[in-house]
Amino acid sequence: MRIRFYALAATCLLAAGPVSAQQRIAVLDDTALAAQTCNVCHGSGSYISPTMPPIHGADANAIYGALIDFKTDKRPYTIMGRIARGYSDAQLKALADYLSKN
Amino acid sequence: MTHFSRRQILTGAAAAASSFALPHLASAQSAAGRVVVIGGGFGGATAARYIRLFSPNTEVTLIERDPSYITCPFSNYVLGGFRQLEDITHRRDPLQQRYGVKILRGEASAVDTTAKRVRLKNGTQVNYDRLVVAPGIELNYAGVPGWSEQAANTVMPHAWKAGPQTLLLRKQLEAMTDGGTVIVAPPANPFRCPPGPYERVSMIAWYLKNKKPKSKILVLDAKDAFSKQGLFMAGWESQYPGMITWIAGKDGGKVESVDPKGMTITGGFGKEKGAVINVIPPQTAGRIAIDAGLAEANGWCAIDPASFASRKARDVYVLGDASIAGAMPKSGTAANSQAKVVAANVVSSLRGAAAPATVFHNTCYSLVTPDYGISVTGTYRPGPQGVAEVPNSGGVSPAQANAAQRKSEAEHTEGWYAGIIADTFG
Repeated sequence: MRIRFYALAATCLLAAGPVSAQQRIAVLDDTALAAQTCNVCHGSGSYISPTMPPIHGADANAIYGALIDFKTDKRPYTIMGRIARGYSDAQLKALADYLSKN
Repeated sequence: MTHFSRRQILTGAAAAASSFALPHLASAQSAAGRVVVIGGGFGGATAARYIRLFSPNTEVTLIERDPSYITCPFSNYVLGGFRQLEDITHRRDPLQQRYGVKILRGEASAVDTTAKRVRLKNGTQVNYDRLVVAPGIELNYAGVPGWSEQAANTVMPHAWKAGPQTLLLRKQLEAMTDGGTVIVAPPANPFRCPPGPYERVSMIAWYLKNKKPKSKILVLDAKDAFSKQGLFMAGWESQYPGMITWIAGKDGGKVESVDPKGMTITGGFGKEKGAVINVIPPQTAGRIAIDAGLAEANGWCAIDPASFASRKARDVYVLGDASIAGAMPKSGTAANSQAKVVAANVVSSLRGAAAPATVFHNTCYSLVTPDYGISVTGTYRPGPQGVAEVPNSGGVSPAQANAAQRKSEAEHTEGWYAGIIADTFG
């Protein structure tokens, strides 16, 4: 039993190799999962979009302010207004806080 | 306790690990397990990558038939003549090199959902604790009388899976003489990429306007309405006046048969001869999903709208085009979004933890010209009738917009493409 346990631990270490601590999404809660939807356009990690602003690590108030402006059509035309209207203000606030820290 | 199956050992070790770890680390450390993903497109590759991001201890094996991925998105721009096939061909190596996804080249030929094992055509067998099935679509060649796979590969291409088919259709457009008619025949719902046929019509029109301006496009549609219809038709009117005729199913647009030898197409509208005929056939979930017993009688796979767990087999998830996703379209962005929810549910179930709340996103940009973009977007949550759009959100680009605004959406079309490639393959 002991030998088998160590063999398994070694397998796990091998599998764990390439995903760096920085890339890893450590906490998996409602906000963390919702925030991953943004990555399809805005990217994550070191990715920089040719047309869309980076949001991971940006200022939480700036993100939240922009989302509310989009939601209320103060910043019209892009798809962001249509997307922001899919969330409550509290959800947008939580997303802005998460993105600023991750 | 002398003979352990690998599964029993895994379960035992996970229990041992969590009992020694601090409570808040336990859930992060104990999600090991083996996940197999069938299909390395936008859905499958994203699922593989995010399972590894959420749980680096989980072993993920991606089974994929093709050496590289040629995207359906942007393949219409190859037809338009301003993209090459190389521009839309992507390697999956980063998944392996940067995220530790094991890529197994081969075709999955059978799934035993009781023994929890996938068999490949070459005889290799892979065991799983959780299986993610993302096989995309199967084209129904018999769905259009007179048409066949052979006809598609020679004279009447579908070009609904990007690659040689895209190049064949492009070659036919290049070979036709100015003044000919290009016929495009889209299928009834549901099918992959609802705005795709109409973006294709736009891109063929772009090519013809610049190279063969006396030519016409006839769209013979099985449907009475289509995605972003108002925006597309206004765009056709302003950018390609007089070039495009769309005939709804109810007005005779539904195709009854084709004759590949005579290059004719017959329906309620009568019999039309085309210089180029693009048949977009009816579709079902990819073959492996049907063979594995995951599909309904209609050829698509029913899922739980909160997790995309199969309604037919335990510990199996079906996502992307193959799934019955309620209000969500069969699009690359939809598959990418569903994959993140599936990854979260797979990891949570391996941890024995509750999964986070489900939310989905979709955006489909389309080009009317290279400088004229339009979009549809939506936010979705699970509901009693399946995946449902959040009320008073989402929708299409405004009907009234100036050239700069349409150009901005065309630029974001490029941004979206770069983003989804990076988010899918790493």
